[in-house]
Amino acid sequence: MKVAVCVKHAVDETELKIDPGGKPQLDGAACKMSTFDKNAVEEALRLKAAHSGEVVIFTFGTPDARKTMKEALAMGADRGVHIVGEVGLLDPMRTSELLAAAILKAGPFDLVVCSEGSSDVYSGQVPPMVAERLGMPYVGYAKKVEVTGQSAKVERSLEESVETVEAPLPLVVSVVSEINEPRYPTLIQIMQASKKPVTEVKPEELVQARSSPTTAVLSMLVQSTARKHVMIEGTPDEASAKLVEVLEKEGVIQK
Amino acid sequence: MKPVWSYSENEQVAGEVAAAAAEIAKSLSAEAVAVELGSPRTGLSGKKLVLTGLGAPAATPELAAEAISKAARQLGPAAILVGATRDGREIASRVAAKLSLPSLSEAIRLSVEGQTLVAERSAYAGKVLVRVAGPLPCVATVKVGSYSKLPSGPGEAEEFSVGSVVGKTKLLSSSEKPRGAVDLKSAKVIVSAGRGVRRREDLSMLEALAEEIGGALGCSRPLSSDLGWLPEEHHIGLTGITVKPDLYLAIGISGQLQHIAGMKDSKVVASVNTDKDAPIFQASDYGIVGDLYQVVPAIQKALQARR
Repeated sequence: MKVAVCVKHAVDETELKIDPGGKPQLDGAACKMSTFDKNAVEEALRLKAAHSGEVVIFTFGTPDARKTMKEALAMGADRGVHIVGEVGLLDPMRTSELLAAAILKAGPFDLVVCSEGSSDVYSGQVPPMVAERLGMPYVGYAKKVEVTGQSAKVERSLEESVETVEAPLPLVVSVVSEINEPRYPTLIQIMQASKKPVTEVKPEELVQARSSPTTAVLSMLVQSTARKHVMIEGTPDEASAKLVEVLEKEGVIQK
Repeated sequence: MKPVWSYSENEQVAGEVAAAAAEIAKSLSAEAVAVELGSPRTGLSGKKLVLTGLGAPAATPELAAEAISKAARQLGPAAILVGATRDGREIASRVAAKLSLPSLSEAIRLSVEGQTLVAERSAYAGKVLVRVAGPLPCVATVKVGSYSKLPSGPGEAEEFSVGSVVGKTKLLSSSEKPRGAVDLKSAKVIVSAGRGVRRREDLSMLEALAEEIGGALGCSRPLSSDLGWLPEEHHIGLTGITVKPDLYLAIGISGQLQHIAGMKDSKVVASVNTDKDAPIFQASDYGIVGDLYQVVPAIQKALQARR
């Protein structure tokens, strides 16, 4: 079974610095593999272990995205395709177009695995768009994926229900983070990852001209939720009594 | 101006998205139209467009997207707003891809500027507010809970036959997730448990506190997703639910950004944590540094002392 996995080299939200004007410093910001993408890589590796085959990582990003690629390869993926270019913020139409074209070129694949959304913007739009562009069926928010022959049975975790869905291969799935516990690569795997083949492609080699009008980011501002930051001192009994008193004054607990 | 469409498979959310559509339609001097599949279900007031002739109930987001796209190709709405539920995100993304339309997502507020639709939305686990513009016609998902539901009432329904839709995915079965006794989204007070709670049975201590204070019990991701101590719908955070109670009491929660993203709009936040440097205190109005196993019973006692 050939499995493609889409991973994103995303701004590390915990390291994001804010300039004095209240704007996030995105240029040169520290990036990491989008948190939930590790679950996508893990699921692909488990499917490969069960059905044998190959796991190929796809990423679209600046040359720095090679780090994320390497991390996915260290986890156990076989090879990678890196679309080298600037990723527009909140432009899933463009990202999906390029990923789909790269997957088509490197394919055919039986399965394309993505995560439910990226840890930076969490739109959850790229996976269904990739499916549309590849003309493949799509099942989102999978908490269990079972492949038998040429079809898959997938449990979808929705807000209020769990659905069991059947779809033929080739198929695109997005997985929720509770589907598995991603493995940590060993030191040897990390060292070996550098030797695994990665093909670099340019966006213009995949897609001549974008197929939809571009969205534009107008502004970005830090959301400040002004909090009081009052630390209440004292023994547990004293502090708790004071806390209950201030919460009553705030009018957020009933007398 | 062409109409502004709204859609959600969830009745509550359909009302919220219809409210967003009404606002946008007003700025465009256009009509707001709530799209429904098969037959009218929502009871929303205002104008409705019922897509018919589907052949089968559009039970999957794949079929819903196909039906909406077919209608949109012929009727050309100015904008298509979809509730950002798990199914809704798929529907909107598919519609945008099918129609090659710009796609905005997770909007907490929408407005019109010139010939563009502007969405305000959070990014980087809620740290940053981004304004994104998409030239009309445009697709956008609206974050659940961002608009007040449009009232129900008699509406005017128009039918439009899109013809049969077929899909590749087949829904075999669906089962309700177990529900908490209280709906967290409407709770005025939430007591939320984090990794500082050492044993599953200790949650009863927090349940008792929640009961005393008239609130509901929530949790951070590790407790539901990793440990499975509480059902997933108790999980507050980026990949869980977003809550805005009057009081959010964070007990033994370190305060990862992804958790903060789900509770940052609470009116008052109070936290208890053993680590004085825990990031949760940066997101709190009131903090107590201490062992929750001592502080929670003490809060309980202080609450009872008022009676």
